[in-house]
Amino acid sequence: MGRAAKNFFVAGAAFLLAVESVCAEQHFPPPDFEGGYQLPLTSTPPPRAEWLQNMDMAVLAAALLLAVWLIHRRRSRRAVFLLSLFSLVYFGFYRKGCICPIGSVQNIARALAQPEYSAPLVAVAFFALPLVAALFFGRVFCAGICPHGALQDLFLIKAVKVPSWLEHGLGIIPYLFLGAGVAVATTGTGLVICRYDPFVPVFRLSGSLFMIGVGAAFLLLSVFVGRPYCRFACPYGALLKLASMASKWPVRVTPDTCTQCRLCENSCPFGAMREPAPVTVQAAEPEERRMLSRLLLLLPVLTAVGALAGGVLASGAATLNPTVALADRYEREHGHTTVYAPMTPESLGLKRAAEQPEAVLAAAADFRRKFGLAASFFGAWSGLVVGLKLISLTLRPDRKDFEPDRGACLACGRCFADCPAERARLGLPVLASPA
Amino acid sequence: MEANSGQPKPVSRRQFLRDGARLVAVTGVGALGGALANRAGGQTVWQIDPAKCLHCGNCATQCVLEQSAVKCVHAFAVCGYCQLCTGFFDAEPNELTTAAENQLCPTAAIKRSFVEDPYYQYVIDERLCIGCAKCVEGCNHFGNGSLFLQIRHDRCLHCNECAIARTCPGDAFRRVAARHPYLLKTAPH
Amino acid sequence: MKPEFNLLDRREFVAFASKLAAVAGLAGLARESRGDDKNSFNYQALDSAKHWKTDPKLIGYAEVTRWRSQRIGARRLAVSPDGRIQVCADNYISSYSEQGDLGPEIALPGLGSCIATTEGGDLYVGLRDHIEVFDKKGTRRATWKPADRKSWLTGLAVGRDDVFAADSALRVIWRYDKSGKLRGRIGEKNEERNAPGLVLPSPYLDVLIHPDGLLRVNNIGRHQVEAYTMEGDFEGAWGSASAATEGFCGCCNPIGLALLPDCHFVTCEKGLPRVKVYSAEGRFERVVAGCESFPENARSCSGLNDCAHGGLHAAIGAGGRIFILDIVTGEVRVMERRV
Repeated sequence: MGRAAKNFFVAGAAFLLAVESVCAEQHFPPPDFEGGYQLPLTSTPPPRAEWLQNMDMAVLAAALLLAVWLIHRRRSRRAVFLLSLFSLVYFGFYRKGCICPIGSVQNIARALAQPEYSAPLVAVAFFALPLVAALFFGRVFCAGICPHGALQDLFLIKAVKVPSWLEHGLGIIPYLFLGAGVAVATTGTGLVICRYDPFVPVFRLSGSLFMIGVGAAFLLLSVFVGRPYCRFACPYGALLKLASMASKWPVRVTPDTCTQCRLCENSCPFGAMREPAPVTVQAAEPEERRMLSRLLLLLPVLTAVGALAGGVLASGAATLNPTVALADRYEREHGHTTVYAPMTPESLGLKRAAEQPEAVLAAAADFRRKFGLAASFFGAWSGLVVGLKLISLTLRPDRKDFEPDRGACLACGRCFADCPAERARLGLPVLASPA
Repeated sequence: MEANSGQPKPVSRRQFLRDGARLVAVTGVGALGGALANRAGGQTVWQIDPAKCLHCGNCATQCVLEQSAVKCVHAFAVCGYCQLCTGFFDAEPNELTTAAENQLCPTAAIKRSFVEDPYYQYVIDERLCIGCAKCVEGCNHFGNGSLFLQIRHDRCLHCNECAIARTCPGDAFRRVAARHPYLLKTAPH
Repeated sequence: MKPEFNLLDRREFVAFASKLAAVAGLAGLARESRGDDKNSFNYQALDSAKHWKTDPKLIGYAEVTRWRSQRIGARRLAVSPDGRIQVCADNYISSYSEQGDLGPEIALPGLGSCIATTEGGDLYVGLRDHIEVFDKKGTRRATWKPADRKSWLTGLAVGRDDVFAADSALRVIWRYDKSGKLRGRIGEKNEERNAPGLVLPSPYLDVLIHPDGLLRVNNIGRHQVEAYTMEGDFEGAWGSASAATEGFCGCCNPIGLALLPDCHFVTCEKGLPRVKVYSAEGRFERVVAGCESFPENARSCSGLNDCAHGGLHAAIGAGGRIFILDIVTGEVRVMERRV
């Protein structure tokens, strides 16, 4: 027993000495202070605790459930509005608008494209939960939780009706923005959806001059156009629109039968209210079918053209990537810079490239390749979006009642109060008939 | 609501497509979420690698916050405690005093105090530091390099995409585990 | 006013105005984070052209040839009496001709951190904490015990009966006799000997034996070259801190000392990398190689280069030729006096 213990201690001491001598080798000692001065330690304030991140996910889940209940059961616009105010404070001003589902799309896309990248759990949760909710209950996230939407709602006074052609035209932009954001994110270049978010600088109360200007412009616009970002820009909204179109319990003006009184027609500030489909004349059907078949044929053509165009655009877009931009600059200016010129950040980057040209050029070539692929996909996606939009315009809706468009409805509940049947159901006083 | 007469309600084509799409979507999102959640590691935060930092000054201006989350920190064990500190003093100071005209720091954030002959202590006041790296450049160019920039996590917003990282000429920003969120200098570097 | 032209009633107008005010308020509160400020670069303070460019009238040497050490990590060099340049690089002492042709090499058990040659051709090498002695054929003759476990030897001078080792970590000059026995300590703060104490923020202590019998030591923290007797009495110092050509720049210089045949000093500096000649009394005489000839060395502390191991080192050869080792690039330059 004694021998084993002695061996253990000798080995332990030798190990400690070895470790100490290795550490001593690395480190040139600080001065010998005679007066007993103690070296201070460098402070290391920790980041936000992990349990608070989990709390964000819990609040999101709870808020989603509450929103579902308020919209589908209680059917109270006022309650949904109060919930959206809470979300504005919590997800907007407290969390400064980050983490959010809009940006999480990029993390997911990058995780799919690069197996070595792992998206944070919060991003996965924020991506998945509102989508699943939309698949069953409609866009309850937009109405009750999204701080961007809540901010725009606060600013809305009187919504102007956007002409139908403009609405459809601008309605493509969210899909294009989604495609662009995903394409850039898969190459690992950056997160353009986050970069060009107009409301996060408002939550942070700081940002680049350009984005503050864009944010102010959006807020001004949202005074008389209902939720312009949500309808015409939000890339996650594009996904929610698709999910909501397949929703099991979409938001209806009333669960009772529609009496076709038309009182809800102008109640939606977001232009989502739809009339019952007109009965078509038999003679027009073959014409419609021909148009549809032509568009269906056009679809793959548009996609292919888009893919080609994307491939052409790729080299220009690739300079979004800082490494590619650096490599380009290096190739242009190689040999012309002197050391004694004032060293700006740009020339420092150039000097780094000059010291390790192979590494920088190889990385840039790698990015260019990824960009080429991503741009082609984006082009194909854009062509697909345009083609599908054209097709959707020719499809006849099978609506019999006045009800919101499943995809465009933001589940805000403003239309409930305009329906007499709903008012009766909820026990609200009867409205005077409009002049 | 009328009771059904016993026959199943006919499903329209659209309804069928919708149900099918929903099923696929739910399965897809669920599988995707599960797979990615499985792969997810611990929380990560942004940090500057002092070995790659080129002290260019972008950290002071590119952060989305008005006062940058990047500050200069001091590795005291690496410091030489020089009377003529080239991170503190201008290239040609009029005299070795704490007068503002003699200092490199534009906000006088480094506090110089006498320890014992001939050693002086230099401590950074983070409330004043703007993260411009002038002192880092001076210290690294002439001295031991004990001053270096780090992202301070009590200020950083932990953006998904760090605005400074994009413009860093030295490619010095990377994500590190939140449990060990600092890349401190420990040896003369 | 006809009713049809009223787009908003009064209440709505008030609401509109208040929202406008809110937007303006938010935009005003939001601080622009100065992302477009292109003027912030940090070299204005240090980018004084007058220091980077040496006055050509002051340059008294011309480059004869330049070659690169074939091993990476070249740290120190010394010139043997047969004219060969001994370079400590990696774990070897490599012997080169003046033109850079590689000759025999001696393998070392570790990194050589300082080197000195004797008239008989012996080599004394400091391996971080202890000294090893080799004869001119390259056979190891002795391995001395380290003076202290934490020693970091960065300079060696060999006299007739003594060997002096400059220990940067302990801030002292060890005095050994030729058998390796420790005889004394020089340079520590000592009132009786008038010694002010060596101030060493970084490991660049060097020592040389002057023909006047006194040692010369570079007290880099005080920017002076100090003279000591071999017993340790302080006998005087020269040197001043200044970025100008006549002074020693930065926080800790000069980092290397060498002796010309006419007893004048050659000094090496880091930060503003330059090699200069001073008279025996310490008066600036001329520049051997100015900053502009060391473009890569000038930024030795950025990126992956180690501030503690950069710099320049000089050794003197036959006829007063100066051999400058650029520790960052591994190049050796041969400089000759030009008249």
